[in-house]
Amino acid sequence: MSSTFFKTIGIRLWTSALVLVGVSILIFCIARVIPGDPARIALGPNATQEQVELLRERLHLNESLPVQYFEFVRELFQGDLGMSLYTNRPVTTDIGDFLPATLELVVFAGILMVVVGIPLGVLAARYRDKLTDNVVRLLSLLGVVTPTFVWAVFLMLIFAFYLEILPVAGRLSQGVDPPPGVTGFYTIDALLAGQWSTFGDAFSHIILPATALALTGIGQTARLTRASVAETYDKPYVEMAQAYGFSDRRIASKYALRPAMIPSLTIMGLDFAAMLGGAFLVEAVFAWPGLARYGVETILHKDLNGIVGTVLVISAFFLIVNMLVDIAVAWLNPRIRLQKRWAG
Amino acid sequence: MRTLKHTVSAAALAAAIATVPLAADAQSVLRLDEVAVGELDPAKATDFADTMLMFNAYDTLLLPAQGTGGLVPHLASDYSVDGNDFTFTLRDDVTFESGNPLTADDVVYSYDRLIALGQGFSHLFRDHVASVEAVDDNTVRFTLNAPYAPFLAALTRLQIVDSQTAMANELEGDYGERGDYAQAYLSANSAGTGAYTVTDHNPQELTLLARNDDYFIDIPEGAPDEVRLVYGLEGATVRTLMSRGEHDISSQWLAPEIIRALADRDDMHLFTESGTGGFYIKMNTQRAPLDDVHCRRALAHALDYDSVIALIQITDEVAQGVPANGPLPAGMLGANPDLPVPTRDMAAAQAELAQCAYDPGDQTIEISWIAEVPLEERFALLMQANFQELGFDTEVVRVPWALFTERVTQVDTTPHIGQVYVRATTPDPDALIYNMYHSDVAGTWQSTEWLNDPEVDALLEAGRSTIDQDERAQIYRDLGARLVELQPTIYAFDTQSVYVARGAVEAETLMGDGSNSYSLDGANFMFRHMDVQ
Repeated sequence: MSSTFFKTIGIRLWTSALVLVGVSILIFCIARVIPGDPARIALGPNATQEQVELLRERLHLNESLPVQYFEFVRELFQGDLGMSLYTNRPVTTDIGDFLPATLELVVFAGILMVVVGIPLGVLAARYRDKLTDNVVRLLSLLGVVTPTFVWAVFLMLIFAFYLEILPVAGRLSQGVDPPPGVTGFYTIDALLAGQWSTFGDAFSHIILPATALALTGIGQTARLTRASVAETYDKPYVEMAQAYGFSDRRIASKYALRPAMIPSLTIMGLDFAAMLGGAFLVEAVFAWPGLARYGVETILHKDLNGIVGTVLVISAFFLIVNMLVDIAVAWLNPRIRLQKRWAG
Repeated sequence: MRTLKHTVSAAALAAAIATVPLAADAQSVLRLDEVAVGELDPAKATDFADTMLMFNAYDTLLLPAQGTGGLVPHLASDYSVDGNDFTFTLRDDVTFESGNPLTADDVVYSYDRLIALGQGFSHLFRDHVASVEAVDDNTVRFTLNAPYAPFLAALTRLQIVDSQTAMANELEGDYGERGDYAQAYLSANSAGTGAYTVTDHNPQELTLLARNDDYFIDIPEGAPDEVRLVYGLEGATVRTLMSRGEHDISSQWLAPEIIRALADRDDMHLFTESGTGGFYIKMNTQRAPLDDVHCRRALAHALDYDSVIALIQITDEVAQGVPANGPLPAGMLGANPDLPVPTRDMAAAQAELAQCAYDPGDQTIEISWIAEVPLEERFALLMQANFQELGFDTEVVRVPWALFTERVTQVDTTPHIGQVYVRATTPDPDALIYNMYHSDVAGTWQSTEWLNDPEVDALLEAGRSTIDQDERAQIYRDLGARLVELQPTIYAFDTQSVYVARGAVEAETLMGDGSNSYSLDGANFMFRHMDVQ
């Protein structure tokens, strides 16, 4: 990698930090514009006005916005995101509890998106305008246009209600203890601990929600990959490879797919990052105790600290994924990867 | 393709592993769900899930009596009243889950903590209790500022905390020598004397409770050894889980069609809980044309009550409410059985309208419904159709709860008609209707009528200061009659919570004619009264 490359990454890190500050100010203000008194909502409908006033005082809600933001930043630098009015626990504890569940779900969905979506796209491009292509295009379209929650309910109906071959809710079955926490991903932690039955249980629990979450991304990825690969198949170097008599698989993976992946990767990265925020409905249907569900509940309960904490985490995730995508694109694109050598 | 093939194979393998039955668990387990979150701290708990936790992990000095109404000693073995002094003798056979014995200091600590934190049900005591003192280890005395009849019922909301355990777990905080008053600890752990102890708690996901075999009352053999209270399950998820036999009791918030579908199965039955509140259609008595009592009565006569009940009907026998005849639900102290159950009577409606000072076509009546309660939209549309028959222009408005609570703080922004479910927070009529109708507390979600009637105020105050229960009952009966005459509210139905349960699960407090029920929502979910064998 060139020094230009590392310099670019450094700049991206710096701008990402600025973006996070901007997001924190924006969400801090927006959260306070949502109708309703957070203290009143937190204390419940039977609380007296006096109780509400006491809590408002304690939360600095009677101070001006800049003062409130200053307090927030001061506590943030001490690693404190404040107390959640929704769960009555520190927001950092909530995020620590719920983030791994959502990350595990999103990572599994992301893997499905890549390992199913890309091959489907390549297959469709290879057999362009034939039956295979038409079937893949139809399925992809179905994946893209069907809302995630419909997939969730549909999958539950088939595999949990009628066939009863997969579990319905949660991360583990009743009576199965979580594996010792290392990563917070139950599947990985179970493997690390050598607990095979726990792994099987955790894996079976994640299949339906991850599939429901991934189906839109799979459709999108297949369509993008098909379009890019189909375009690449028309390039002279692919025709040359075909003329040399290289195998279909070699042409597809080495000559067609790799350059075609560059435009697809950016979109896939965004889709992947968007899953973190968009997992709410899937988490709700499958009772998955994740951060997306927590985030939506904090908005409904006008839990100011919870909203800001969740949005900051999701924003950071977006920025990290974007940066990783940039690195991957740079690695795939020789014009970027070999920039220094060219310059030299 | 090979990758894909491997993935599918792995998924199938995992599914196969998961479908292998786990080793038979000798423990009997009860699985139920409620709306998130479950608040475990007794000084903060208010919601339904919280109440379930409180009545299982903690105990109170008094409990509502089963079936008969009134109160019975629980942690107290006896109590006496001398003017404004209420003295309680504690049972000497009660220990906390830590093994510490219950003492009067625990009661004082629990009360002081509730008031200091200023949340939960502290409002039931704050303005009425002058002091609480431990007379000796087994005696505690509450001194009130003035006679306050609802005080004893309020004690059903004062859960007693193990003060030694709590103090040992106090962190630094805002409460002087009490630090954080053990908020962090008690939000995650139980420290009570209850029939169940909390073994794991995540407020958005799940609370696990285990039976406390050292409980001071014998727990029947059939009661569950373990309870899994899950939060925030979707209706479709509950239906699937129950159909698979993986869930025992649904929450009351399931859509009627899901309850109906589950109730149709041979292996399910319904639990019900009633007598603690109602569904109130509240009219803003300070905004034209509803500031005229005749207009209000005209609307009350025009409503199609049979259709209202039809909207909440679950089966031929069970609905999520029963017709109401006044502000207090049938069975509550002071409910007036002499008041007629209203029915749709268009002739009477027209007669009242003729006496109304306003021409119905001159005013648009805003009928609001709470966005989070879709059923209310159906009620709103029914009202729109009914009221338009009288010539009223109406506008149905969807209002999120947070916005509703803000709008009702000003008389001019309070909708002409609001719909709310209200349940008594203690087994006392004061807890239900004082905050609805006293002119001093107008402008909250409970009092969107903005009623200002000296006679109503006087009756409400008399209900608080009169200690004799028979006299109180008569006061509330008179109050009911006065409110029906003033018609600030349309009493649509007394609420009845309906739960679906697996046939194998029985609960004496939630089944039958109510003769074993507690007159307090949530208290009927004391798991020691359930049988899962």
